[in-house]
Amino acid sequence: MTPELVVFWLLSVLTVASAVMVVSTPHVVHAALWLVVTLGAVAGCFLVLTAEFVAWVQVLIYVGAVVVLLLFALMLTRSPASTTGATSRNRPVAAFAGFSTFGVLAVVLTSGFRGIVLDLDSQPDQLGGAAPPERIGDTRSVGEAIFTHWVLAFEVLSVILLAALIGAIVVSGRVRDRDRQEAAAGGGS
Amino acid sequence: MTELTSVGGMPWALASMIGLPVLVALLVATAREASQAARIAIAGAGATWIVVVVAAAGQLGDDVPQAGAYAGGGEPVLGVSLALSFDALSAAVAVLAATIGLLVQVYSCAYLAGDPRYRSYACIVTVFVAAMNTVLLADDLIVLLVGWEVMGVCSYLLIAHHWELPAARDGAAKAFVMTRFADLGLLVAIIVVGASVGSYRISDLLVAVESGRLSDSTITAVGLLVLLAVVGKSAQFPLHTWLPDAMPGPTPISALIHAATMVAAGVYLVARLLPVIAASTVTTVALGLLAVVTMVLGAAFALAADDVKRVLAWSTVSQLAYMFAALAVSGYVAAIGHLIVHGAFKALLFLAAGCLAHAVGSTAIAAMGGLRRPMPWTFWSTTIGLAALVGLVPTAGFFSKDAVFGAALDATHVQTGAPVWLAWLVLVAGLATAVLTAAYATRLWLLVFFGAARASRQADTVHEAPAAMRVPVAVLVVPTLLLGPAVLAPGWLGAQAEPFHLGIAVLSTVLVVLPGLAVWAAWRPGVDPARRLGRARRVLARELRVDDGYDRAVVRPVGGAARLAVGGDADVVEAYVRGTGWGADRSSWLLGLAQTRNVATYVSLSVVAVVLAGVLLGVLG
Amino acid sequence: MPLLQPLLLSSALFGIGVYGVLSRRNAVLALMGVELMLNAVMLNLVAFDVWLRDSLLTGQVFTLFVIALAAAEIGLGLAIVLRLFRAYGTVDVDALADDRRADPVHVT
Repeated sequence: MTPELVVFWLLSVLTVASAVMVVSTPHVVHAALWLVVTLGAVAGCFLVLTAEFVAWVQVLIYVGAVVVLLLFALMLTRSPASTTGATSRNRPVAAFAGFSTFGVLAVVLTSGFRGIVLDLDSQPDQLGGAAPPERIGDTRSVGEAIFTHWVLAFEVLSVILLAALIGAIVVSGRVRDRDRQEAAAGGGS
Repeated sequence: MTELTSVGGMPWALASMIGLPVLVALLVATAREASQAARIAIAGAGATWIVVVVAAAGQLGDDVPQAGAYAGGGEPVLGVSLALSFDALSAAVAVLAATIGLLVQVYSCAYLAGDPRYRSYACIVTVFVAAMNTVLLADDLIVLLVGWEVMGVCSYLLIAHHWELPAARDGAAKAFVMTRFADLGLLVAIIVVGASVGSYRISDLLVAVESGRLSDSTITAVGLLVLLAVVGKSAQFPLHTWLPDAMPGPTPISALIHAATMVAAGVYLVARLLPVIAASTVTTVALGLLAVVTMVLGAAFALAADDVKRVLAWSTVSQLAYMFAALAVSGYVAAIGHLIVHGAFKALLFLAAGCLAHAVGSTAIAAMGGLRRPMPWTFWSTTIGLAALVGLVPTAGFFSKDAVFGAALDATHVQTGAPVWLAWLVLVAGLATAVLTAAYATRLWLLVFFGAARASRQADTVHEAPAAMRVPVAVLVVPTLLLGPAVLAPGWLGAQAEPFHLGIAVLSTVLVVLPGLAVWAAWRPGVDPARRLGRARRVLARELRVDDGYDRAVVRPVGGAARLAVGGDADVVEAYVRGTGWGADRSSWLLGLAQTRNVATYVSLSVVAVVLAGVLLGVLG
Repeated sequence: MPLLQPLLLSSALFGIGVYGVLSRRNAVLALMGVELMLNAVMLNLVAFDVWLRDSLLTGQVFTLFVIALAAAEIGLGLAIVLRLFRAYGTVDVDALADDRRADPVHVT
């Protein structure tokens, strides 16, 4: 029982518990706040797994930006007043789907990767090649990997982000009268 | 027989005997109104009559037939050649058919005045004459079959002229089904002839029979099959029941088709193929026995019938049997002579019956009585017609019937194709039938024209028929009275004529006068002499329940099979169709359960499906 | 530290995310479930990267890409939710159910 394992256990419990709260709390704002806890705990997991840079990006973007965006959305849709977040009708099916997904994944992963131990201290390259002298998940090594080998994918990703930006602006723009009528005709029935 | 394949002047006259009525029928069919159609029909019938008479004038008494093949030279198509042949036999019957066709057209324009379907009626009558001429002129059996079947169709259409009446519809269907069934015999006979002779030409067939090229069994088979067709067409026992039921048709049709021509086509065919029939004892005996049974039964049924037209129909059946009997005992000339004479007086009787129906509004005997004074023309012409039917001395019927008896008498001591016992049977049955004929003719005469007028009828509504109906009846009186000596004229049919037999004549005269007197004695005004028959009358009025037998033996099994087929279709075949629809409906309902209109459910099901697919892949893979 | 530890955690997180997406009526809350699932995937990627010691850091780089894509996805998703809210006045996915039925006559 190494210290990393203890910490990871605690983080795991925190992650699962807060995730359960996210999907079960009747208060929508509470759900968003529990999501902050979950994401933060996952960031902690990344840290334990030596993925330092990823952990900080997780905190910055997820906890900082995404959750704030979600809170804004909840407020804009006047959802905070609503406390009925879960569909009572679909809950059994959803629970079955969730449990079965978990079960299948757990069985597959357990059968495939049982007994493998992660070495978080030394840095031998198991695929051959020279092992980097620094810790593998720090900003420097990740930055080098991105801007040397993955630069093309990185640029493509920037295009995707731009497209998503423009798309979000277009989609959330003012609803024209025609759309309103269509919505009234189609959704009102 | 000689065959003239070169087309001279005369064969075109033969072709026009068929073509002219067809052309007239087309003109009638396209006529704008009934009166125009009537004029065209009468003029066309007159033109046809002239063509036929001119063509026949040179042929009667001539032994050598005119023949022409219109197959266009070379090998005939499929073995069928459009071959025509015109001899004395054809000429005699063609003149009969054309004459009565003309008279019936004249008669019909008055009888069916105001009838909305007059045009189609006149058209079909004209087509019928063309078909009759086709049968008479055909030298090819296939061509003959075409005319034969067209006649059957025309008969069906004309019986059903008043198709509003159920009796007319049923009678037409019955006539059509029975004659069509019989026609199968002719078709098979033609196939047998084609297979054994190698040609469908009647002349070739007769040559083959004479030369002894054909085996006895083939000749017997052909003869029996032809007899089947003839029995159907001429309403002989056991297919005799359709003719009386055909009487709901218009009366001129009964005169033209069901007395003078179409039913006579059966006699014509047997006469034409007489060498084939006579070459086999089996067919000769079959023909003779059928004729004997039919003549007695027909006359007996006529005795108890209660409708004028039905009496005449049964008498037609009986008289046709005379002709077949004469043919069975090789009385070729006697049979054809009786055919011609019978055609004349039976057409007269039917047309006169039409006058009666026109005046009284019904053909039931019960509706008549005492019509002698208001309808003198009809009375006298009917009297002469009935006298000819009975065979009283000066009329043509006397001579022709005498010829039939004479032929039978000859066959009892002269060697012919028929056995001696058959000749005696024919003679005795013929005399017995003459007795019955005298009885029913006298009964009809007394009940219709004498006695008190029916109280239900207003005296002033009874009137003589219009001139267009009276004149054809009167015209027919002439041959009915004068044709007798002509029948006896030597060689008119190109064969040895029947000599006059004094002894038979005296005997038959006595035999017809006595029952006539007996019926007259039994008659009181308003009392049917047939009542003296007692219980036999009921049996005869039901016509021996032959139709009941057909009903049980044919109609009901066929109906049962039809119901079975319908039931099978409804319960078995349709069950699959319905089951398919039901299954699709149920399965769509089942699939519709998945359509909850809830996006979350859809996504849930998708996720579950993906997971299950993954599990399956893992397990199977 | 066994590799199974983060893998099982990611499985649990993924299952919870699935449940959240499917059971939540509020569209924004359903998007939160999607975020949970994305996080599970990211955890997996990092864990395998650490195990394999890839010199190109494929797992971690992909995790970063997933984070960027998640940001784009949440931006677009929320834009759609807003649009729905403006058009229908609600973000309840059950209430957005399409009630129109196909007319059987016109089904071809």
